[in-house]
Amino acid sequence: MSKRFMLFVLAGALYCAPWSANAQTRSIISNLANPAIGMSALFLGQAAPNLNQPIGMQFQEAELSVISTVDPYWTLAANLVFGANPNDGIPDTVEAEEAYATTDSIPDIQLKVGEMRAQFGKHGLLHTHAFPFIQAPIIMGNTIGMEGFKDAGIQASWLSPLPWFCELTLGAYTPVSDDINGQGNHPLDFNASSQDNIPYLVHLKNLFDVDEDTTMELGASDLTGMGADDLHHAVYGVDLTLRNVPLRQSNQRGWILQGEFMKKVSYNDSVYNQETQGWYGSYQYRLDQEWWTGVRYEQCYNTTPDLQVDTTENSLPGHVQRASLDLAWLASEFSEVRAEYSYARNDAGVVDNRAMLQFNYVIGFHPPHSY
Amino acid sequence: MKLIKKMIWMLPLLALALPAWADLKVATSLSDLASVAQFVGGTHVTATSLCKGYEDPHFVPAKPSLMKAIQNADVFISVGLELDGGWLPLVIPGSRNPKIQPGAKGFIDASEGVEVLDKPVGTVSRAEGDIHPLGNPHYYSDPLNLVVVADHLAQVFSDLDPANAADYAANAKDFDEKMEKAVKGWKEQLAPYKGAKLVTYHENFKYFANRFGLKTFGTVEPKPGIPPNPRYLNETAEAMKASDVKVVIYQPYYDADAAQQLAKLAGATALEIPNEVGGVPEAKDVFSKFDYIVSTLVKTLSAK
Repeated sequence: MSKRFMLFVLAGALYCAPWSANAQTRSIISNLANPAIGMSALFLGQAAPNLNQPIGMQFQEAELSVISTVDPYWTLAANLVFGANPNDGIPDTVEAEEAYATTDSIPDIQLKVGEMRAQFGKHGLLHTHAFPFIQAPIIMGNTIGMEGFKDAGIQASWLSPLPWFCELTLGAYTPVSDDINGQGNHPLDFNASSQDNIPYLVHLKNLFDVDEDTTMELGASDLTGMGADDLHHAVYGVDLTLRNVPLRQSNQRGWILQGEFMKKVSYNDSVYNQETQGWYGSYQYRLDQEWWTGVRYEQCYNTTPDLQVDTTENSLPGHVQRASLDLAWLASEFSEVRAEYSYARNDAGVVDNRAMLQFNYVIGFHPPHSY
Repeated sequence: MKLIKKMIWMLPLLALALPAWADLKVATSLSDLASVAQFVGGTHVTATSLCKGYEDPHFVPAKPSLMKAIQNADVFISVGLELDGGWLPLVIPGSRNPKIQPGAKGFIDASEGVEVLDKPVGTVSRAEGDIHPLGNPHYYSDPLNLVVVADHLAQVFSDLDPANAADYAANAKDFDEKMEKAVKGWKEQLAPYKGAKLVTYHENFKYFANRFGLKTFGTVEPKPGIPPNPRYLNETAEAMKASDVKVVIYQPYYDADAAQQLAKLAGATALEIPNEVGGVPEAKDVFSKFDYIVSTLVKTLSAK
């Protein structure tokens, strides 16, 4: 009886098999509306005789990006970053660096909601793979973070009706850091738990066409929040960028002259602490379609830490100066090899010089970088 | 005196009645599209292009001033097929103009209805360079494709501005007739050179070559977006000699040195020919652009 039953089941299964195979090819699940997906990966080789780890190859990060329209009103973008743990160099960290929705349905305003990079300054808007030099300016790490101020919040950018590009951005972010250690993923030390202590941003950006090929951009930023120490913590910044892209050779020539000054303070009614300030000035020059070169000089005052020189978080105290020389080869739009030498020195004569070689790759869809 | 006062009070109402209020402000990603839009729109439309004719449409710097330029546009016409995909995704949202966002009535893909060449078959791989996965987007180098665009735009303008629909339809008809007549003339001029082979810097002349019986032999760049190296130029020059290719065409925004070097190696002539309106001063609109291209080619080919 059981044999007959088994045969019946087997025959039934065989009978149904072609139907089910057919059903698989006629899936009711469509992937046509899947988001655009891309990934970038950064690898770094470094020789630095003054560091605890003088020579080493390093996986910097891989960034998985997805973007798609949600409906007629919203677009959602997310960047998941797989990185190396700074303590042991093992690539085992994953961070939702950004996950935000934008809408362009409101005239003159772009609204952004979610985990995002705040619209602060110039360098703070860049993803690591888009840095013009391998290392972020020192002042970044001492103020809003090496990769800018990233936090959950809401941000609105208004494009004014003035005859030139004049954009005013206002943002409000979460008062409690989302870092797993509760220490914050930026050195602004907000972390106040009181609900009325919402960090806010004001950013003004102006861009003028000097001529057909050259633009001048002038920006000012203010990011302020209340810390757990009952002090207001704020970073102020101004930036100036002159950029030349000859329209007849937009893929072959051009230069960028850029400077940014930032200052971090904490204060209340009776106290005013100037915690740090610094600036950088850089000049990048495009030699041809494949080659870019650049120099950068920077200074940072009263910083702790001034430079994160290795994984033990040793730092160079006091006033630090650094000069960097960079040469980049872009074999195509999707790969880049960058060689850089930097020399840093503090008031006490401590030197940090490094030679670096970075490999940068992009696959799949990659949204264009902002101008 | 009373009359003057009345007239002053009526001035704002008068302003409302000005025909400029009926105009459609049209912006395009390519100068050829602006030229066609202006023909079709006539006096009811002001059309401007974000990309100049001497600018590489693949690599337009996404300046915020471009966003500003389209903040109040009623219509944006994209060339489509991802030709402007390297900069439009920044410029369109940056304009904060809901009327021209993709999906809105005012966002137009001009490639709709065009028969697209070079659609990749099988897997799309960047090992082949920066290829266009939706096919060759330089369809505007075939003048008859602009007829398709004109008819499309007439429909779009009519939908957005029904009061002037009859004018748009009439203008498009005029454009079509004028273009078809012009194509006949250009064909006659190029007829003696049917089958002539051309090397182009980029694969952006294929539609033109197909329309007028010419043949594209190869490109100065080894793969899309990859600059040539000396070895590749030498190999291509040898192949050109073996196949009697006498003309190398490049646009104002490409590396003229590489094109001229290849022409020299192959014993050919390097020609700077615009592919977009405004590429040279003589190319003031789509008709004069093709006039310039055809006359320059005829002059060069007849001398060979």
